[in-house]
Amino acid sequence: MSRVNTVLGPIPTEELGLVAVHEHIGYGMPGSELDTTWWKTPEQRYAETVPKLRRFHEYGGGTFVDATGICNGRDVDYYRSLSAKTGVHIVASTGFVGGDTALPFFARASVEYLAEHFVHEITVGIGDTGGRAGIIKVGVSRGGRMTDLDKRIYRAAARAALTTGVGILTHLAVDAENAIAIFNEEGLPLDRVLFGHVDDGVNADKTRDTWIADQGGRIGFDTFGYETELPDPPFWARPRKERLDHFLRFISGEGRIRQVLASADANCSPLGWPGVRGHTVNYLFEDLIPDLRAAGLDEAAIKTIFVDNPADFLSIKN
Amino acid sequence: MTGAQTAENATVNTVLGPVPAQELGVVSIHEALLSVVPGAEYAFDITLDRAEIFATLAEKLQDFRRHGGGTIVDSTGMFHGRDVRLYEALSRTTGVHIVASTGQGPEEMLGGYFLTPQTDPPTPWPAEKFADLFAKEVTEGMVVPRVERRGAAGLVATAASLAGMTATDESLFRGAARAALTTGVPVSIRYGNDAVRDLRVVLDEKLPAGRVVVGGLDRRDAVAAGAPIKVAALGAYVALDHVGTEDDAHVTDAERAALVAELIEAGHGGRILLSSNATGVAKGHPANEVRYSHVLTAFVPLLKAQGLGDEDVQRILVGNPRDLLSTR
Repeated sequence: MSRVNTVLGPIPTEELGLVAVHEHIGYGMPGSELDTTWWKTPEQRYAETVPKLRRFHEYGGGTFVDATGICNGRDVDYYRSLSAKTGVHIVASTGFVGGDTALPFFARASVEYLAEHFVHEITVGIGDTGGRAGIIKVGVSRGGRMTDLDKRIYRAAARAALTTGVGILTHLAVDAENAIAIFNEEGLPLDRVLFGHVDDGVNADKTRDTWIADQGGRIGFDTFGYETELPDPPFWARPRKERLDHFLRFISGEGRIRQVLASADANCSPLGWPGVRGHTVNYLFEDLIPDLRAAGLDEAAIKTIFVDNPADFLSIKN
Repeated sequence: MTGAQTAENATVNTVLGPVPAQELGVVSIHEALLSVVPGAEYAFDITLDRAEIFATLAEKLQDFRRHGGGTIVDSTGMFHGRDVRLYEALSRTTGVHIVASTGQGPEEMLGGYFLTPQTDPPTPWPAEKFADLFAKEVTEGMVVPRVERRGAAGLVATAASLAGMTATDESLFRGAARAALTTGVPVSIRYGNDAVRDLRVVLDEKLPAGRVVVGGLDRRDAVAAGAPIKVAALGAYVALDHVGTEDDAHVTDAERAALVAELIEAGHGGRILLSSNATGVAKGHPANEVRYSHVLTAFVPLLKAQGLGDEDVQRILVGNPRDLLSTR
């Protein structure tokens, strides 16, 4: 039986449909909740979020994977209400966006404790919400080199992935040699890992995407839409054509299309930062998929990228 | 002498609103009500049962009151479990005044929002931003994260890293001092490895020394360095704030009592504060199970044995904290 944990319970993999594999309902750095600059009323949050998810559903989107870490404003009760009211499956993460987003309690924790925590959130639930995590988020701290804490989190994630069968999704794929060494030491097959953000404007040049793919990792072009053409682009933006060409170049490699996933990393309603005006998960439907078709990809290729690959990745393997 | 510095109409910010300073009674200046290591609230094996936490804290506050206590200062700052609504209910129920604090620190205890912000490069927060964050907790109310502001913080509490003050710790200290200057509440600092040096950072911001309490001066390293006398001589308050804790890091209660006598002898009786750093309820770290009433029940007799009179004791337990906490 194939299954995926969503915030409302396990669903069959076959029901996932088109997946946005690296997104955020709302992301904020830990501590941003103390700064009223960013506060929004619940009315405003729902008003900013529900139409985007409804549009996603109407476009044919099936599943929204929320890649927000434990201390980054992850709010499973809220996700459950959004999912129930919009019909979009939402997969929540356990884990951390990077060591620099793990609060002191977790920053001090052992690999064993972190693994136990991740396993609990995947198999029992997140807090008392009843929702279970369907993916493990890990990442590289600011600075581009894995810190000791980053490495402990990767190792704990590998153990939890082996125990539970869920996949690992990374924030950044720089310093991949260290990441892959840890996964290899722990015996985790690399097709259980989606190495994300290979395409962002800051890190694309430093990310060995084809090398990671050669090792068997999955590759996430998942910051689509953060473009220098935007009126107020973030520092990780990249020229639209440059990213698209990078993606097309990557999938032209032998077998590479089976290893690639794509997403927009957008915030429906950002929690601790202004967000990027005009950028939503629906970039996938409104811009990316049309661009891919214009570049000559057929419907089977699009299904591979957005339906089949994420289904294989998200499906619990045990 | 007692209360000589406190104006007749001075008030103190408590969680239930401003209270005339004369009503505080015996104050414990450095305690923790609910103490939660940041992040522990998300841990799979930690539960936060509000009713249970309330019952535990209420019993401890009632015990404090029964032994003559009037006011508890929760000096854990804004990001270590502070729960303003819970403290309001506790104060209403027990009759103990509760002063809550803003501030945070040391660097290790901060969220990534302050250390690696989403900017390029990710420059940690400067003093001015901390000053604004802390001051608003006094002038606009303490944050209940992403919900509302409630009450007004009665002091700004911060701390430096034990290995020594980091650049961000210094920003926290300077920000705390500036917030104190603009709002009139005092500053509580826990130093890193050099009490006098760290005190000078807040004094460098032109904050009068009489608006500062230095905690942890009953640490062995501080006592060995003569820090309590030096801090008092600079005009800041000396908190011997681990009364009841006798371990490798701290002097004994007997040594504390002798230190109090020494400070009085040196003319610094108006700068001594006592507290226990007790944690009413601790989550994610070991609790300090000393009772809030320990100073009153166990330590005051030691002070009397040192020859302190009632007036000295009243000054230390009532007058000094009243002067410090009165908003200016």
